[in-house]
Amino acid sequence: MDFYFGLAQILGVHTLLGLSAYVVILTGQVSLAQAGFAAIGAYVAAMLTVLAEWALSPALIAGGLAAGLAACLVGFPALRVKGLMLVIATLAFGEAIRLFFFNFDYQIAKGNVKVGPLGGEGFRQIRYFNEHGWSTFEVMLFIWLVVALVAAGLWWMDRSRAGAVLRAVGEDELAAQSVGINLIAVKVSAMTAGGFIAGLAGGIYAHYTTHIEHSNFGILPATFAIAYPILGGLSNVFGTIAAVIFVQGFLIEGLRFMGDWRNLLFGALIVLAMNLRPNGLFDAAATQRLLRLFRRASGRA
Amino acid sequence: MTDYIQAILDGLLFGTTYSLIGIGFTLIFGVMHKINMSFAAASVAGAYCGLLALYATSAPWAIFLLAVLASGVIGFLIYLTCFRFVPLASPLAPLMSTVGMLLLVDEIVVHLTDGMPKTYPALYDGDPLEFGTFMLRADLMGVFLAAVIAMAVMLVLLYRTRLGLAARAVAQQPVAAQLCGVSLQHVNAQTFIITGMLGGLAGVMAGASVGVLSPLLSLPLTTKGLIVTVIGGLGSLPGAIVAGLMVGAAENLFQAMRNVTERDIYVMLLLFVFLVLRPNGLFAAPGSRT
Repeated sequence: MDFYFGLAQILGVHTLLGLSAYVVILTGQVSLAQAGFAAIGAYVAAMLTVLAEWALSPALIAGGLAAGLAACLVGFPALRVKGLMLVIATLAFGEAIRLFFFNFDYQIAKGNVKVGPLGGEGFRQIRYFNEHGWSTFEVMLFIWLVVALVAAGLWWMDRSRAGAVLRAVGEDELAAQSVGINLIAVKVSAMTAGGFIAGLAGGIYAHYTTHIEHSNFGILPATFAIAYPILGGLSNVFGTIAAVIFVQGFLIEGLRFMGDWRNLLFGALIVLAMNLRPNGLFDAAATQRLLRLFRRASGRA
Repeated sequence: MTDYIQAILDGLLFGTTYSLIGIGFTLIFGVMHKINMSFAAASVAGAYCGLLALYATSAPWAIFLLAVLASGVIGFLIYLTCFRFVPLASPLAPLMSTVGMLLLVDEIVVHLTDGMPKTYPALYDGDPLEFGTFMLRADLMGVFLAAVIAMAVMLVLLYRTRLGLAARAVAQQPVAAQLCGVSLQHVNAQTFIITGMLGGLAGVMAGASVGVLSPLLSLPLTTKGLIVTVIGGLGSLPGAIVAGLMVGAAENLFQAMRNVTERDIYVMLLLFVFLVLRPNGLFAAPGSRT
């Protein structure tokens, strides 16, 4: 059973990562720096619980805020460019953050062992869950509580004026600007919100794996982060969640029996999915159809 | 001081590889206004295909030729799978499909080589050229010359042939070009084949100057190639050439001044300096910020 709880933990963290990219993509921007923001959240949260002995929740929030701040700061220079240039700028920024942690040493002695991040060796001994006696099940519940909070927040935001503004910028910047929307403010706030969520994801990841290093936050997780919302479709948060379950649950865990070939299939399936459903698995039309089916079923009952 | 100048010289020679990758990104962007994220990975894969020539002969030129041809084929396949049937109106779909292709190409290489790096023969072996206290490595000189010739061929192709004319027409005004009887799909496919061949050359050069070829090369080449494209200005051929040399030199200088692990941080910072001060890049036409 612990295996499935572990899988659910992975799904939860990846959902957060996907949702962090979802906010940014709503405004029509693609950010490949989400893994970098997750790295900031992971290192900050882990250093707070291990070195400063904070409780978990404030440490996670502090990690999220630090990542959000970084996203806000990078937003201003990066958003001078749009579209594909932004993809490249954020890719470079994400790599720069990863390389920063590759060179980052800050260790203090605790008892007779030294703890803290140590460059290429990474940051070991993040034992918060162990030390406080959390079971795998409790950890999983905690992670999904955070996921549910974030997803509900985004769902609510989507229905509010803020969501309409984000989507307006994503659909047509010129039109959005002409009705008086401040483009820079909207994009930078979306980046900041995305950074905060990615920071939360990183902080949680650091605590359940107990050991983080720079290579955990490379280009692969960054691609995963943008892949979930794009594969799932942008009409609502459930597309992202469905894509995470499809990719992590089915493609990665479900196809484990295929060994080496699984990785080949993974890339090929992304290419295929984009050929067949370029707007995501659950695009606006599919969501409408599902809703209609659902209504008809509940109407009959 | 002389050490630093030597580092810059070596970097300039290696920078031609970045220039070629940058040209590939920039040409595809110019014609289709899309970025082919799998380009550098395909280039490395093409260089791997070149190694197959070793089964028949051990001549370096055979490897070289086979790699370039194979990369052209891979380029065409990427066009077919990632662009031809994907609606280009939505910017996210081709981006994602090429990212998927990047993973797929990398995994195919890892799968076929069992993940082991392969030694790669130098294109040209000889004594280093010496100028007083400085010297130029012969193998890097070979790489440099090959790249200069390729760039010259590229410029002639773009500005002196009908194909180049068609490609530039599509880049400027796709609709008008179509009305004049230029087939968009043909031009796009040809661009992919030609840039693919150029990428194959870059892959061979990277393999030849590093001495080994490994799938680990493809991600750094992707990031560096994209950085070169931005610094040079998206869609600008001379920009990609100059920016490639610049990034190569800067990278080697940072490595000499600091160390290998910190080197790339400064390259990324260089990119940010450009984004803040010259977001259009060195050579891009004004007002073409997309």
